[in-house]
Amino acid sequence: MKLWYSYLKELKLSSKGFYFYMEILMTVIILVLLLFVIPEEMDNKHDEYIMFDMPVQAEEYYVNIIKENDIDGKSEIIEIEIEDKVINVELYVTEESKLHIFDNEEDLIAATEADRPSIGAKITWDKANSNYKYDYYLQGYESEKLRNLYTIIHVKDLEALVAKGDSYEVKVLKTGHERLNTKQNAVPALITFNGSLMGLFIIAAYIFLDKQEGVIKAYAVTASHVWEYLLSKALTLMTVTTITTFIIIVPVMGTQPTYWAMLILLLTSAFFSSAIGLVISSFFDNMTQSFGAIYGVMILFMLPAIEYFIPSWNPLWIKFIPIYYLIQGFKETIMVNGDMTYVMLSSAGFLLMGIIFFLYANHRFKKNLAV
Amino acid sequence: MIKVKGLNHSYKKDGKYAVNNVNFEVAEGEIFGFLGPSGAGKSTTQNIMTGLLQLQEGEVTVAGYDVKHIKNEMFNQIGMSFEQSNVYSKMTAKENLDFYRKLFDVETREPQDLLDLVGLGDKGNIRAGEFSKGMKHRLTFARSMINNPTLWFLDEPTTGLDPSIAADIKDIIRRENKKGVTVFLTTHNMYIADELCDRVAFIVDGDIKLIDSPKNLKLQYGEQLVEVEYIKDGDVVKESFSTIKTEDKNQLKDIIDKYEIQTMHTKEATLEEIFIKVTGRGLK
Ligand SMILES: Nc1ncnc2c1ncn2[C@@H]1O[C@H](COP(=O)(O)OP(=O)(O)O)[C@@H](O)[C@H]1O
Ligand SMILES: [Mg+2]
Repeated sequence: MKLWYSYLKELKLSSKGFYFYMEILMTVIILVLLLFVIPEEMDNKHDEYIMFDMPVQAEEYYVNIIKENDIDGKSEIIEIEIEDKVINVELYVTEESKLHIFDNEEDLIAATEADRPSIGAKITWDKANSNYKYDYYLQGYESEKLRNLYTIIHVKDLEALVAKGDSYEVKVLKTGHERLNTKQNAVPALITFNGSLMGLFIIAAYIFLDKQEGVIKAYAVTASHVWEYLLSKALTLMTVTTITTFIIIVPVMGTQPTYWAMLILLLTSAFFSSAIGLVISSFFDNMTQSFGAIYGVMILFMLPAIEYFIPSWNPLWIKFIPIYYLIQGFKETIMVNGDMTYVMLSSAGFLLMGIIFFLYANHRFKKNLAV
Repeated sequence: MIKVKGLNHSYKKDGKYAVNNVNFEVAEGEIFGFLGPSGAGKSTTQNIMTGLLQLQEGEVTVAGYDVKHIKNEMFNQIGMSFEQSNVYSKMTAKENLDFYRKLFDVETREPQDLLDLVGLGDKGNIRAGEFSKGMKHRLTFARSMINNPTLWFLDEPTTGLDPSIAADIKDIIRRENKKGVTVFLTTHNMYIADELCDRVAFIVDGDIKLIDSPKNLKLQYGEQLVEVEYIKDGDVVKESFSTIKTEDKNQLKDIIDKYEIQTMHTKEATLEEIFIKVTGRGLK
């Protein structure tokens, strides 16, 4: 009962505060981004720079295959500027990529280098083995997996793959999923930012306001528990996060998401980030002092969101940051045929970690009431 | 009502004690005053008794509860008014009290009655953030009564209030005490201590120097004093002398012989003068 009254009071107080408007503003910005700025499908065709080093007939054969895949069946000549030099290349546009045909290996390498996410390839006819030889020019930051993929990408049939050696393991990662379009794909990271990251910051801000007013002390000399005070704050954040997230999700995603699972993931993850905010705020007296700690944690939590948008960057350690599972979990909830077991497991994880951090925060607050 | 034995407290646990081997007892129905200059350790002692600070060393029993293992239900019996007022500035005075009363399991007082009592009866719907310092202080004071406490902790209850309001607050304390409420009061104001307290403890640098009733103290230390104003080398000098001590009497004679006397009064020693005499320190 006391928890309920404290919760009502927190809701009322937060609706009168500056941070409430900050939340609303953030929600509106994200909603506007999703509805009007981020397109349904982005031009996500890869640039590929190719050079043929082979007899003319072989090259023609190759170019014909490319032509067949070209959207309008013909090439155009475009000018590319590399290091103050302008060269002409032939451009073919297929469903997946833009292929630029180079005559000269030097230009090929320079162009690949200048255009960051692209790849370059030199295809040579290997007379001795009567085989094609592929030399790829990568950027250097591509993951091991992607590199391995390039080494086997041209092995067309299974026999040849086996012949290449048993060291390649091909795993089917996911099946039966509809792809998310560009806009939908941006949703999980954005709502993670809106919910958990803002929540962490805002709950700390609320605590510091209370510390400044000294009201925690007043609460401490009543017949209610400190945990009730702390939990009422966390519940407020959970409420605000849920509402603002739905304000974003409903107009953007309509009926596609699995809402019950999303609600559970939202509540548990907001509880988790609130608990972290509480722990941080128990170590400091005001926002200024805690700036470093809060931003440190926020940046750490933002890394999985950055990783999410850079497909070629996926270091293993990112999976040790809990927010990774939040973003992936949100993705599952908005996908058709998403994996709800994954969402429930992640939620359970957030709940468990949230409880641990919450208990620790409670322990710290009880010890330091007079500040 | 309160028993404190061998209480020590060091904020940084660095061997520097804010409170040093403090012992005292407060009986039921008493108004007990902690009198000392600021920084003496009054609030520290009070915060330990109310669980705001963790007990480090010593035995403290409050309203029958061992403070080492504080039980939340204890607070149903306790009221605490803070030195620095601490109310939600975004809520009105009434909302502050309405919320606060829900945090107790016992019968609580009507917010409006309490506001009337401290002279804020017509300010109930104003946000506490718009209150003056004194008004906030009165609201904090009123709030401490909301659960009908039997033991009432008051930290500097009249500090910073203008004299007429301070007088009202004193009246309220006296009236509540008449109803049987035990009061533990800290102050650096000797008038409050003198007028309200059944017994006072003199505390300086975390040490209790003495505990007695103001009346006894005056009997014991309060010899008549003569206050003299005289002109010495063109300046007006003001000094007090005991009418009992030989040394003082001789000095007084000397002054009357040598200098031009402007005024001369006899008066009773104040609690502050006794405090200075006992502790060697002033209350400021
Ligand atoms: N939170 C704190 N941290 C460190 N020292 C403190 C703290 N609060 C008070 N002190 C020190 O403890 C001593 C006693 O302070 P306090 O109990 O507030 O005195 P009083 O209430 O008598 O004015 C002072 O020297 C003060 O500086
Ligand atoms: Mg004090």
